[in-house]
Amino acid sequence: MVVFALIIINKAGGLIYQRDFAEGLNKLSINDYLVLAGTFHGVHAITTRLNPLHQHNLPPSTSDVRPDPPSGIEVLETENFRLQCFSTLTGTKFLLFTEPQQPNVDKIVGRIYELYSDYVMKNPFYQLEMPVRCESFDRKLVQYVRPLNSR
Amino acid sequence: MVVYSFYIFDRHTECIYSRLWARQPDRPISSGPPPSRPISTSSTSSAPITLAPTNELNPPRRSTRLSAQDDAKLIFGTIFSLRNMVRKLGGPEDSFISYRTGQYKLHYYETPTSIKFVMLTDTQTLNMRNVLHQIYVNLYVEFVVKNPLSPVEHPGGEGVANELFELALDQFVKGVL
Repeated sequence: MVVFALIIINKAGGLIYQRDFAEGLNKLSINDYLVLAGTFHGVHAITTRLNPLHQHNLPPSTSDVRPDPPSGIEVLETENFRLQCFSTLTGTKFLLFTEPQQPNVDKIVGRIYELYSDYVMKNPFYQLEMPVRCESFDRKLVQYVRPLNSR
Repeated sequence: MVVYSFYIFDRHTECIYSRLWARQPDRPISSGPPPSRPISTSSTSSAPITLAPTNELNPPRRSTRLSAQDDAKLIFGTIFSLRNMVRKLGGPEDSFISYRTGQYKLHYYETPTSIKFVMLTDTQTLNMRNVLHQIYVNLYVEFVVKNPLSPVEHPGGEGVANELFELALDQFVKGVL
């Protein structure tokens, strides 16, 4: 079981965090990562519009129950890796690159989101929507992912 | 397991074939003319895909629904971007297989000649890559490529939507389900 990398994209499509945990993916320059984050942000928005079912054409119901808004890409599979995308309610996207057969990726992303809210969002010096430079977040993240990779 | 739609794109980025299965009727509150490009549905047996000369007939209106033609363009843009992204990260040998959203799953298969086969299904469906490969080998090659009357390239979808191919595709997809 290998977790390759983590990318965090802010709600405007900018790259705010990128970290590799294991070999397996090509190394890109920081510029390429920025382009990749922007591209993914756009593609994610398009995929919400491609919904073939069009449930939102139904007449609005009077009850308080609203159907979930269409979600964008959640999982992307390729021959060499699997990309799990977790989009928070505020629009921040967590992209986790793992091995194709990795189980329980949603749990791992959820835990990373917890770490993010604890060590980034609660950091009084962190500026919203800006690149994440929090040492404690780095440390906790590596502490959490390393045992997963060596299992 | 439900198959929603199926698309073929040629190496010139053009959508040469599209077919929609379980789709709700187009625009219940329709005000404008029907979509300018005939889309083959299960009821019509052979509707060749012809590109509309212009879109002047369609008044500019903002609807939440996209026309099927726009859908095809968006799908191509999506798979093109994702394929490039995957190649950048996973190396030139890597290939993009599928992605899933909360509502649907898109399966992708590309032949060595850059013909792209795309299928949209529900989220429960497992890997359909071999199915798309079968469609290419057993249906596309047999009924489109080997057809002596069909052109080598298919500008505007010419020669793809022939009766045998559509019939066989329908049967094949129903058989897979």
